Amino acid sequence: MAGDGTDDLGGPAYNELAAMQNLASVDYGRIFTALLAGSTAGILGLTGLYGFLFFFVSNGLLGLLVLQKYNVQYKPYFKKLHMIFTHGLFNSLLTYILFWTFLYGLVHVY
Amino acid sequence: MAELLLDPNIRTWIFIPIVIITFFIGILRHYVSILMASPKPVQLQQVKDTQALLRSRILRENGKYLPKSSFLMRKHYFNDATSGILKIGQDRPAAAAANPMQDPNMLQDMLKGNLVNMLPMMAVGGWINWMFSGFVTTKVPFPLTWRFKDMLQRGINLPSLDPSWVSSASWYFLNVFGLRQIYSLVLGADNAADQTKFMEDQVNVSGAPPDPRAAFKAEWEAMELYEHKYALRGIEEELLAQFPVSRKQKKSQ
Repeated sequence: MAGDGTDDLGGPAYNELAAMQNLASVDYGRIFTALLAGSTAGILGLTGLYGFLFFFVSNGLLGLLVLQKYNVQYKPYFKKLHMIFTHGLFNSLLTYILFWTFLYGLVHVY
Repeated sequence: MAELLLDPNIRTWIFIPIVIITFFIGILRHYVSILMASPKPVQLQQVKDTQALLRSRILRENGKYLPKSSFLMRKHYFNDATSGILKIGQDRPAAAAANPMQDPNMLQDMLKGNLVNMLPMMAVGGWINWMFSGFVTTKVPFPLTWRFKDMLQRGINLPSLDPSWVSSASWYFLNVFGLRQIYSLVLGADNAADQTKFMEDQVNVSGAPPDPRAAFKAEWEAMELYEHKYALRGIEEELLAQFPVSRKQKKSQ
């Protein structure tokens, strides 16, 4: 952290623990979104690229809702804007695929 | 929709049970590991070391808000050539490396860890393989290349079957990886349900405890290299410049 001493002089001073706590909360929401979106995609019977598109759209929607909660003033809560959208994305993708496959199997395969 | 017709009995007796079994085994693992966990004795020196390193790191991160003299005082406390605690920590003779095999408590912990994690993992994996082997359970809703055939169709040998179809054994593994996140929803972030995390821990346990001297040396170096730059330089003038009216009043007085 010693290197970026000069460029964030104007920005807020972050409490690392609190920033991590915020990220963890967003992660929590992201997993839940993945769960719901996966189930939805499975029941709707989305296949192929549409399913993945749906995941990223729902994830983007979550990010926008988080931003809306802070009236787009994310700076005091998150270090970087993209973290709201991409932190823990891969893990939630795994969850999404599982639930997508599960409900797709239940509804459309059998 | 599907060009392969699957018996609904496969769904009722294999597809859904695998999900439920995987999920509840994770929950069970969490609670068993809570039951069997023994509190680790904490050594005073160890706590002191960690806290010193932590404080030093915080000083490096937020030192820019301190005036130069205050920062130098704190740096002296950490880095002074004779009495700095980081320096003393570096020169401390190495603690006798505890051999995990000689410490009965450590051995017991390792045994417990194996009992809770390795055993069920192999037993359940084996049991699922044996009990539910050889079924085509479901189809992933996206096309895959033929390379994925080995991964998704473990246990069935049908060369011409489309790789999107998932065998029962592979469905189990899909569940193991996909449910990791669900456990953190259900059990909270620090749960013990995840068996892949245990594998990472296992690697760490086998080695000796990390040498504090190396950490002290690294922190000492980082502190030496840190260039203090006061972030609040000229803050009084800046603040006063925001209130031009009050400034004029001051002058008139």
